[in-house]
Amino acid sequence: MADIKGYNMPDELYYHKENSWARVEGTKVTVGMSDLFQKEAGDIVFVDLPDEGDEVSQGEVCGKIQSRKWIGKLVSPVSGEILETNEDLDDDTGVINQDPYGKGWILKIEASDLESELGNLMQGQALVVFVEAELKRSEEEKSKAK
Amino acid sequence: MGEQWRLFRHEGIPVTTAEGLGLDDTLPWSVINKSSPPILHLYNFVSSAIVGKYQDITAALRLERCRAKGIEYNRRSTGGGTVIMGPTVVALGLGINVDYPGLKKGIGGVFESLAAVLIRTMDTLGVKAGFRPKNDIEVGGRKLAGLSAASEEGRALLFHTSLLVDFDVELMTEIMNTPVIKLQDKGYNCFSQRMTTINEQAGRSISMGEVMDAIQASFEEEFRITFRRDQPDENELETLRGFINNRYTKTDWIFSNRHPRARMGVGQIKTPGGLLEVYLSLSGSSIEHLLITGDFFSNSEYINRLENALKWTSALRENIIGNLESVWEDGAIHGVGMDSIVEAILKAKDSQVRL
Repeated sequence: MADIKGYNMPDELYYHKENSWARVEGTKVTVGMSDLFQKEAGDIVFVDLPDEGDEVSQGEVCGKIQSRKWIGKLVSPVSGEILETNEDLDDDTGVINQDPYGKGWILKIEASDLESELGNLMQGQALVVFVEAELKRSEEEKSKAK
Repeated sequence: MGEQWRLFRHEGIPVTTAEGLGLDDTLPWSVINKSSPPILHLYNFVSSAIVGKYQDITAALRLERCRAKGIEYNRRSTGGGTVIMGPTVVALGLGINVDYPGLKKGIGGVFESLAAVLIRTMDTLGVKAGFRPKNDIEVGGRKLAGLSAASEEGRALLFHTSLLVDFDVELMTEIMNTPVIKLQDKGYNCFSQRMTTINEQAGRSISMGEVMDAIQASFEEEFRITFRRDQPDENELETLRGFINNRYTKTDWIFSNRHPRARMGVGQIKTPGGLLEVYLSLSGSSIEHLLITGDFFSNSEYINRLENALKWTSALRENIIGNLESVWEDGAIHGVGMDSIVEAILKAKDSQVRL
């Protein structure tokens, strides 16, 4: 488990810059939203999911996530076919906040081009740089506004 | 002098919900696809009720009454709950890139930046308003405007709000379907204690034009920009027609079933301070709306703050406690402890029925 500036960003996962994560098991990829996202968003109140069998491309908006009165994007970290969506989210979207990398998973994809696409996602030092840059940008805007 | 933004301003002739919402959706499209500078759209709707993107419209509104009274209803593409619009409500749509200089980052940051513009607007009109995190503009604990937003294409954002210059509370209680309405005769007072208008706060009748002028000036000062009065070009009009024809006049969109289950419940508890009642609207596992009332002693501003801390948050016990703790003041409600409020909410949740 990696802690980057207070955010839990597990080492074994791959991260998209739009805050989705990918857990790769063979050609099957589980997708969710990162701790960085859920802490910023606050309580998630609804997830608008794609249908099973839908084809998605890497970087494509494949769903929407509402927190309070904000509707954000769920961006697919890889291309492929939607195999399964997390039905438990129908009853409680709060699990995305409570357990973003476990019970709060959102969908599973049968990936079609992992070999070339994983390189577009972040891990390790690249992820540290990304998180730090996001936080720095946020701090700069806050200080400008003072 | 900073960048010049575009301004679409419609005064005098209220627009239909399809036209107004369709043009709002065109704004972020233009920012991304036409590299347009940010676009501000100021206008009035015809008398109408507009639900949030993921609300159950059949649960939120009394549709037969809307039809009988000639009130339009539709669904917007941003989040949040139902808003009642009309000729005395200024509607605001803004299309902007999330990376725009001066716009704070993150969901909370964006709302704070845009709230600052509206607070400045109110100040110009002689109203001392404040930001009530995370989404509201308030005066003395009473809501004056709610903010909502959606991330759209690319890095574009659509921001929505409406400013109540004057407001027909009676109409609202007649067409909305919330727990407050179930209170029948109490409904009117409940809304009056929780909402206010610019006219009421300013103590005079303010024209739509004056409010729009103040909004414009506030954006100019806050972002150090100027506005150019403009109209949609041909491409934008074509996109607008697409949104009208394929979205805002379509039953599939207006009656979309992509929303959490809407339920409502009531919880009552006897406390040393008196009877405590909680009227609760649930959207899936979240609290969409709640009303804390009873015959205990407190002030409405504090009660409003408690209610606001819980709206659009998880209805799980630990989350309710966490959110209440963030605003709780011991003794602010005579004879009623936080644990009683938590229990009343959970009781209301247990008694929930489908709307």
